[in-house]
Order: sequence, then C-alpha cells, then structure tokens
Amino acid sequence: MANRMNWLQGKTVRKNTPGNASHSRSSSTPQIHSTSATIFGGGVKDPSGRITEYSSEDDQCPVCKSDKYLEKKLRLLVSSCYHKMCESCIDRLFTLGPAPCPICNKVLRKLAFTPQTFEDLGVEKEIAIRRRIAKSAFNKRVEDFMSLRDFNDYLEDVEDITFNLINDVEPVETEARIAAYREANAALTLLNTQREEAYIHSLRQAEEQERKERELRAEELRREEEEEREAKELGKRDIIDRLERADGSDASGVVRKAKRERAEREATRKGVAPGKGPQALLRARLAAGAATTAVKDTPHIPFQDEYYAYDDMFTMQSVYVDRASEAVRKDREGIMRAGGYWVEEAWERAVRSAVAGT
Amino acid sequence: MDAVEKANTERQKRWVKDQKVGEGTYAVVYRGREASTNRKVAIKKIKVGQFKDGLDMSAIREVKYLRELKHQNVIELLDVFSSKTNLNLVLEFLDSDLENIIKDRSLVFLPADIKSWMAMTFRGLEFCHRNWILHRDLKPNNLLIASDGQLKIADFGLARDFADPGYKMTCQVITRWYRPPELLFGSRYYSTAVDVWSVGCIFAELMLRTPYLAGESDMDQLKTTFRALGTPTEQDWPGHTKLPDYVPIGQFPKTPLRDLFTAASADTLNLLAQCLVYEPRKRISAKDALTHAYFFALPYPSHPSKLPKCAAQITAALPLEELDGNTLSGKTNRLKRKLSSPDDSTKTRSTVARRLDFTKPTPGS
Repeated sequence: MANRMNWLQGKTVRKNTPGNASHSRSSSTPQIHSTSATIFGGGVKDPSGRITEYSSEDDQCPVCKSDKYLEKKLRLLVSSCYHKMCESCIDRLFTLGPAPCPICNKVLRKLAFTPQTFEDLGVEKEIAIRRRIAKSAFNKRVEDFMSLRDFNDYLEDVEDITFNLINDVEPVETEARIAAYREANAALTLLNTQREEAYIHSLRQAEEQERKERELRAEELRREEEEEREAKELGKRDIIDRLERADGSDASGVVRKAKRERAEREATRKGVAPGKGPQALLRARLAAGAATTAVKDTPHIPFQDEYYAYDDMFTMQSVYVDRASEAVRKDREGIMRAGGYWVEEAWERAVRSAVAGT
Repeated sequence: MDAVEKANTERQKRWVKDQKVGEGTYAVVYRGREASTNRKVAIKKIKVGQFKDGLDMSAIREVKYLRELKHQNVIELLDVFSSKTNLNLVLEFLDSDLENIIKDRSLVFLPADIKSWMAMTFRGLEFCHRNWILHRDLKPNNLLIASDGQLKIADFGLARDFADPGYKMTCQVITRWYRPPELLFGSRYYSTAVDVWSVGCIFAELMLRTPYLAGESDMDQLKTTFRALGTPTEQDWPGHTKLPDYVPIGQFPKTPLRDLFTAASADTLNLLAQCLVYEPRKRISAKDALTHAYFFALPYPSHPSKLPKCAAQITAALPLEELDGNTLSGKTNRLKRKLSSPDDSTKTRSTVARRLDFTKPTPGS
C-alpha cells in the first residue's frame, strides 16, 4: 500500500526481487542502475548526470522526415497527444494559432509542446497523468480515512481513474468523475497540498542548516591551518633574528633553544601540557601511580560472590529427555556447533535455576 | 486515581529532571538527581507515541534485562516510571566511556590499567552470561566509566536471553568491528562466545589505541579478520563452511599476534588469542577468562581509582551513543531496524507486558 502511494506521487520505487532478499549483503555492493539512457547514451544531462531531456541519434521527425544526419540541431518535442515532431514543423504548423495534429487530428497549440524526458512515450504520458492526478486532486493520506480498508478502496479508485486516463477508456466519464471528486474534496485537497509543501519546506530547511554547519567547520579548519602556518613562519624568522644577534658564537645552541621554545608554544596551542612527549607522559603517569600510595593495587579476585558455590549441589547428565530440543540436537551438518550453540546450556540453565531457586 | 497510578506518581516525585544532555532517535537523555539525596542520575525519556506498534524494541530490551541485573560492573537501572505518555528510565550517572579514554592521546595506559579494565569487563560480562543474557553490542563506547573508575557495561538495547532450545536468533547484531565471524557468516544459533569475541577486540584496541579489526563492510570485515588472524581451516573451525552466509574469502596466512603486539607479555597474548579463537565453542568463556593466568600475574590490576581518566570530562555527559546506540550515524540504525525480525520480536513483547510491573527490581541471584 505504501508502495502504491509513493508511486502515485511520482516517486520511483525499486521493488525487491526475490533474489535480492538478503538485503544487508547486497546493499554494501554498489548497484548499477541500467536504464535505456545509460545504454543508448543520448540526451541532455544535468550536473548530477541525470538525463533531463531525451534524444537519440536515430531521431527522425515523423512529419517532415528530417533526421539528425540532415539536420544537426534536430530537436523533437512532444505534443499533448503524445506525438513527436521537430521544432521547425511546430513553428510551421502552429505559429498561426491552434491547428490539428498532423498525426491524430487533435487540435494543438504551440505552447503545449514539451521536451521529452523518457525514451518511451508511454512512460512520459503515464507520468504526466499520475502527476496531474496526485497533484491536483487525489492526494488524500491514510490519516484521512476511518480504516485501512477505506484507504485501500480509495487507492483502488484512483488507480482505476489513472488507468482509464492512460489508456483513453471512457475519457469523458472519467473526466467527469475527477471533476466531481475535486468539487467534493476541495478543502481537503488544499490542506494536503499545504501539508506536503510544509514537509518539503522543512526538508529544505534541514538541508540548508546542515550545509551552513559544514561551511562553518571548513572555515574553522582553514583558520586553524592558517594560524599554524603563521606560527611556523614566525618561528623561522625568530631563529634568524636570534642568530643575527648571537653573533655566531654558539649558533647550534641558539637554534636548539629556539626550536624547543617553538615546540612548547605549539603544544600549548594544541592544548597539551607543554614539554610532554609520550615518554614524559609515561614518566608522569608512573610517578603519579607511585605517589598515591593510599590506594594499593590488589591481586585479582575472579569472583566476588558465592554464585559458583552451588556447583557441587548438582551434576549435569550427558543427555536429557528433551522433546523441545530434539530438532536442534540432530544438527547433522554441524551448523549449530559451528555457530557456537550448545544444547547443554539450555539444560544447565534449567538445572541451575532449579537448584538456585531463581 | 488507582493504586498503580498512585505508585507511579510517587516514583516520579522521587526524581528531579535537570537539563537535557542529548537526544537520540528513540530517547532523550536528561541529567537528573534524586530529590531526597541529590544523587546524580541520568533520566532517559523514551518517546512512545511515534512508534506505530508500541515501544521501541531496544527500550523494551533495556528495561527487561537491566531490571534483572545488579552488579558493580553493569549499569544500574534505578527506577522506571511513566509521565504523561512517556516512559522514563532512571539510570546511574556515568561521566565517561572507554572510547573517550582510548581516543585521548594525552593519556598513557600501563599494562596494569588494561588488566584492570579487562577484569572489570569480564566480571560484568560473566554476570550477564550467568544470568543467561547475551549483551550483543559490546564496544568501547558501551563500556562506561564511573567517577570512581569502575567500568560498567551499558546499552542493553540489543541484549536477549539465550539458552532456549532451538529459537533462531538474528545475526544482525553487534557493531561490525566487534562482530565475530560466525555472525558474519550468518549463524542463527550462537551463544556467549559472540560477546567474548567483542571483548577480545576491545582488549586489542586497548593495547593498540586504535580499532583492531576495522572493516568497511560486512564482507570487508571478514577479510580484515582473516588477514589479521589467518583464514580458518576446517580443522580450526569445523562446519563453518556450512553456515548460511558462508562465502570463501581467500587464503590469508596465520601471523603470530606477537608481530603486532610487540610489547605484550606472553600471558596477555595467550588470553587475547583465546578470545579470538575461530571456533566459538573453543573460545574462552567469560568465567574461564576471569581465572586466566593473565589476571594473576604481576603487575596487579590497577586500582580503579588510579586508572587514567579524561582530563576534560565530556560536557555532554552520558554520551548518547552509549545510551541508545542509534546515534552512531546510519550504521547502527540499520542494525536496529533489522532487529525487528519476526524471530524474537513477538516473544519479547509478550514477556515484557508481564514484566513491566514497576515493582522493586529483583537482582538475578
């Protein structure tokens, strides 16, 4: 049911094929989405690589028969009756106002032509219809119904209407049905549209928030790096200055001193106690351990209670009459054993519980 | 007002909620205190309303098992009460976890410190196991550290009881890096050995100061494990090729642990190796581990009060992860969702309805 709802709203739902049941494993391997577009190439792509307008090398205008070979810039648009023709034909036929479609004779207008997204025009049509149905009228949610049953009936109705529209079955009656429904449910439809908009808005806000935080973090990182670089530069200049002043009497000593000071400065900046490398830390830790003589380390005592004192109050038999575990005990392939399962644990649990009275 | 409601209000009055310290997918955590004694506690408010079929699974598990466990090395559930439509768990307040300590580069661990933490972990785990409870999500950030240095096992959101004959259990438990190979191979019948493997990984992590077997996917986890410990043969682990999700991973040679853990003593490596034995039934039990020579050898385990602590105690005390595991990005989330597999969900729910009677906890003997 949830699947159908998504479908109605024009979202794609990938169905799990039976072979794909162990999802935990398959999800880790990248899945290749092969569509006709990836196979046949063509089309206009947006920055994320998704095809926004379909076109192919084999395109040919059914009206004037010109094709990609003859006309490099050939672009086919789709009419509201789902017939394709090239831009120049559209210009030629419809510039002077509405005119009949050269293929089916339905009256068309120039503005009603749209670019093609999908290779299959059937899909194009179905999506347009579903979008229209879901957006304009049939957007009730499961909360709007008394029972799941009612909701399912409603979905069934919507599906009927959609089917009729797609396949042009009783178009007049169907349109009438939609109009009647829309009139009866105008308020609710509006409310649901608003709900949907609010949801999208909240999603967008969350996204924005996240982006801002990311930027802030990046900025912080950049600043830190800059600081570090500056400190390094300063240190170098400092060494040179000192060498100048020291008159070359003990150059290596001066350099060493300056370097040590720099390391200290760096450490304080990073929040570590100055002058403490791993060795120094270890020494400090050992000293601290020795200093606090108040608490002595004591030898390890494995069990601090009397739990296992019960152990001599019972002996486990090697096997019990136990109908519940018969199937498990058979385990011819050794699967239970390989997984670390012991039937004996179940028996021990029962016996121990009986002895300890828990 | 009937008696139950009255008892509930009384309980509610016993605790004072202070500021919020964090929020996870199924719970909000507050710092709080006991009204009469001012003792610090953590109050975990479980959001009830949002789940269609009652309480979140992990909340149920947490209450169910923590009410039965009372031990120095297991987090204590002090009280449970309801307010309006929410369920509130009152837990011991703990200010840090082992992951924070491992990550704090300014701390140095002595062998005695590691020994002390391991002893406390095994004690807590042994207590769970003796009460027939598998933890199933042991990892450093579920091992909390109290202010007196005591280590406490927390987050029983994935726990369940074991040793009932023939019930299938789910294999989608335990954070990947700490998950034993039998679960990666999809075993539905397993036992205490799964927790011991996790402890082995934590043991290694304490020495290395970085996760020991850090796989990037379930498949990669197996590869990482085998690369570190050698591919198991039929002799090492009889029957493992028959496990449901078994796939041949490739042959990796066995390398001695000594090569990686250069500074460890022979006892240390022996215990570590026994925790990381492939065949689950040959893996050491928590009980046997506690009597292992490692714990008796010198140096003695450090006294808990002397263990290294994070200097700057985390401000968001009681970090969320440890309380619900859900915050760990998407990974654990998926785990939890998986958990509502039919094999044990129905069972647990019916048991809890009986157990949620809010009487004084009876510590498992």
